[in-house]
Amino acid sequence: MSGKQSVVGTVAGPGEDPNEFVFVTPADKSIKTGEFITYTVSVDGENRSVFARVTNRELIRGLPDGFLADPEVGPDTVAATLGVPTDDTELYRLTATVIGYYDTDMTTFANPRQLPSPGTPLSIAPDQQLETVLPNLGCETDSADVTELDGTAHLGWLLNRPSEATNIHIPIKEFASTHLAILASTGSGKSYTASVLIEEMMRPGSRASLLVFDPHGEYDSLADIQGHDAFQGEDGYDPDVVYYDPERLRVRISELDIGDVMAVLDNPSNRMQERLSTAWRAMQRRESRTWGVDELINEMEARYGDDDASVGALEWRLRRSIERNDLFHPEDNVPLDEIVDPGQCTVLQMDTLDRWNQQLITTVLLRRMYRERLDAVRDRDSEIGHPIFALFEEGHRFAPASGDAPSLDIMRTITSEGRKFGFGLGIISQRPSKIDQDVLSQCGTQISMQIKNPNDQDAIKNSVEAAGEDVLRELPGLTPGQAVVSGDAMNTPALIQVRRRRTEHGAESPDVIEAWREAYDQRQREPAQSESADFGEGDSTGVQSLD
Amino acid sequence: MTESATELDTPDLDSCVRIGSIVSSNSHLDYVVEIFKERDCDRPPELHEREFGQPVFIKKVIDGTEHAVMGVIYDTKLVDPDQGRTGPRLAQDDQAQFTPGYIEERTTLAGVALLGTAVVTDDRTIADPTHRMPRWTLEVDDTVYHCPDEVTVSFHTVDGQIQLAYLDRLIDIAGDLGAEVIVALIDRLRRMLPEDDPNQRVLDVVEQNIEWQAHERRGVV
Repeated sequence: MSGKQSVVGTVAGPGEDPNEFVFVTPADKSIKTGEFITYTVSVDGENRSVFARVTNRELIRGLPDGFLADPEVGPDTVAATLGVPTDDTELYRLTATVIGYYDTDMTTFANPRQLPSPGTPLSIAPDQQLETVLPNLGCETDSADVTELDGTAHLGWLLNRPSEATNIHIPIKEFASTHLAILASTGSGKSYTASVLIEEMMRPGSRASLLVFDPHGEYDSLADIQGHDAFQGEDGYDPDVVYYDPERLRVRISELDIGDVMAVLDNPSNRMQERLSTAWRAMQRRESRTWGVDELINEMEARYGDDDASVGALEWRLRRSIERNDLFHPEDNVPLDEIVDPGQCTVLQMDTLDRWNQQLITTVLLRRMYRERLDAVRDRDSEIGHPIFALFEEGHRFAPASGDAPSLDIMRTITSEGRKFGFGLGIISQRPSKIDQDVLSQCGTQISMQIKNPNDQDAIKNSVEAAGEDVLRELPGLTPGQAVVSGDAMNTPALIQVRRRRTEHGAESPDVIEAWREAYDQRQREPAQSESADFGEGDSTGVQSLD
Repeated sequence: MTESATELDTPDLDSCVRIGSIVSSNSHLDYVVEIFKERDCDRPPELHEREFGQPVFIKKVIDGTEHAVMGVIYDTKLVDPDQGRTGPRLAQDDQAQFTPGYIEERTTLAGVALLGTAVVTDDRTIADPTHRMPRWTLEVDDTVYHCPDEVTVSFHTVDGQIQLAYLDRLIDIAGDLGAEVIVALIDRLRRMLPEDDPNQRVLDVVEQNIEWQAHERRGVV
């Protein structure tokens, strides 16, 4: 944050690409790849600080490799023997790509279309300036105090800088309206990052209406937000975290689409499909929204007669698939006003539901909420009068690239249209290649963490517009907790260290060794059993536990 | 006085064998020495005392202090004014003393490249070796002495570590045989150092580098 910028290098000349230049630094000015540097250039008679990102670093002057011939003899020793000076001899040649200067009118970067001339001094970009211009915060100066802005999420700090030196606050409104993707392999901290975002969105400055679809029950620890000092507003605001366990998740049968029902049924014949859809449409035209399988079958029998074979077959199938599934209910429904509310984060715990039920409940809920949002925007009666944001853990489960999920259609609709209706989605996944490309490509902001699988890298490359080559190159090398943030919420992609959560995190993998040892001790404490007598009538069954 | 020098039985600088005298120079660092023959001194150098890669020194008093200017034989050349003359001869082979000219004029010249300087101490050894370029010019007729291996080691020892900081200059002067002179010097140093001396490995690396560069330059690799 110091006003005085020290010069770290000097421009040597243009690089290979039109926006690239090369500069030289001595060894003691250690500049890492990915670092942001600035130089001053005159644009339209005004001096502008142009930002550039260091993309490559190579040694141009240093001790020859031959000095490294014996691992036991340091190159410095060999150099000293030959009278070669070793202090500050190394020179580095770095390549940097121009990002642009911060245009305060456009509140984004503008490319000066002009490379720095050889000899231009370069300095490290000041922290506060980067905090202002890297995220898409729309500041009207290039050096504002971003901590004073409302509606931002403090995600972490620049990886190349010391801890908490350059904090990245991303604008929540950007990713909440143009959708978000958190892509990371298992164990690299995607649910941690999501929790950080949730925490930020629940702070008094934002008071978001959040919905988390949690197929694994990983978000237990969010409850700590309630009553936590960091989340209290001066006006008495205190965020709510509501858990919806699987027992409370219900789908009212009338909310299902004929397509959903067809998909649930076991291989219905054409005749059955025709009968069912006719009856279904008739039922949906009715005033009452609380009808069940019985009413549906009555309707079919009324239309096609009591002894119609297809109706009989349908009855059996409907009872098996819908009536015996606790998820479906003629009357009960998840009340929308309970799950969405400003300042409330609702976690839909679906860990005991099977995949199909998870997809179905998601489909129905999304459809209902989307309809309500549509009504709200069109000034009709609506249960949801405010924008909402839904986060999907295991996003590939709900919008699979294979197309094999009822929720895919509504997910596609929301990602492409939701922006207009204040309905944002956040997809969290460790398998970007298994997410539907249409859905993924509509996620305007991406937080990408360590991804080594080449298929997944390709998926990011193909569907994430903002992911440049330099972002992709970083992905395999990231360690847990490090992320590349790119897209609508940023003016330029940045490598960050995700900050620590304000509340404790709960999704750590269980300690198997501990579990095994405990199980073993448990076994040892059980009373020893003698082997049952072998009467020669077959194999001995050995020691058996009696429970 | 450096450590390695005291450990060894240091010979007296004044009792060193005289190798020859300076007859001309090619540059500030590159001198031509005429090797002494039987008639030039009491004890002319033996062949192994004036071999290729032999370190030598020249004593010089500079501003009241006696210095040893260190050098190395990097090249030799035979001179026979008679060579190529095929005309009749007056003298016979067994009557050399009556021969007025040519036989006595046959000489061996040695090229000596200067490496650095050191101060000659009162106990007739050297101290404060430096591998920087000597600033002083030698004179014609200056006597060039054979440098004993012990003195060679102490000249190459700076702060307990072996140094050959003149290496790049020596390669420049010695030209084609540069790598060989250095290898010969390194061999000499290695022979003098104990087997387990850490400097041995450093010398290995330096030798390897020099040889490799020479091989590269000569198109072997």
